[in-house]
Amino acid sequence: MALKLLLGVWMAAVVVAAFLYAPAAEGFRQSRIIFFHVPNAMVAVVAFIVAMIYAVQYLRGKRLVDDAKSAISAELGLLFAVLATVTGLVFARVEWGSWWNWDARESSILMLLLVYAAYFALRAAVDGAERRAALSAVYAIAAIAPMVLFTFVVSAQMSELHPKGTLIGRHALRQEYRVVLYSAMAGFLGLYLWLFRTRTALAEVRMKLRRY
Amino acid sequence: MPGKIALVIAPLIVWVGLFLYLLWIDRQVRELRK
Repeated sequence: MALKLLLGVWMAAVVVAAFLYAPAAEGFRQSRIIFFHVPNAMVAVVAFIVAMIYAVQYLRGKRLVDDAKSAISAELGLLFAVLATVTGLVFARVEWGSWWNWDARESSILMLLLVYAAYFALRAAVDGAERRAALSAVYAIAAIAPMVLFTFVVSAQMSELHPKGTLIGRHALRQEYRVVLYSAMAGFLGLYLWLFRTRTALAEVRMKLRRY
Repeated sequence: MPGKIALVIAPLIVWVGLFLYLLWIDRQVRELRK
């Protein structure tokens, strides 16, 4: 409970700091959205990796709870990816004048959304918990390849509009920006963990109810 | 300045609302688990 309250206060502080502590960044008209846009994208990547880890766990132990955890993490990854896309749309409209510009990062996240939407289409299409779990696990593991390719190779190398080297290096963001951004990342990660644990608890309750 | 305050308050209200909703769901799930 104490951790949850801390998260509540932490994120409120991030919101206040984003607008009152961090100054407008040079070269941007509205740059503060990165405090929400970047952590959402980062948490989505973490969630997809966790989905893969639990998929591996399922294939090794064949425990349905691992399948549930994998699906929950993929679901949360999709949620955070959608949030990153929506905040990105707003940012693109303000910064580049158009909601969608087919920048490499934009195209990449669209592909990622489709890859993970297909994961849920697959889950919905297969009957039988064990068959569904096995097929989903293989898909969740295979989906990591396009995820890494789009997130870390295509986006990082080919993006023309998205700024590069903002976190580390010579052109990194100024101190105030990094403090707020890293705090927001920690906050969103905490939010993901909380959602993950609550959804997992709910899935366990559902499994128990089905058993009796 | 008033615009800036409004800019801070709007997302704060959204966050506090979401947070309270999450706490409520969290409590429901924990009760179910018992």
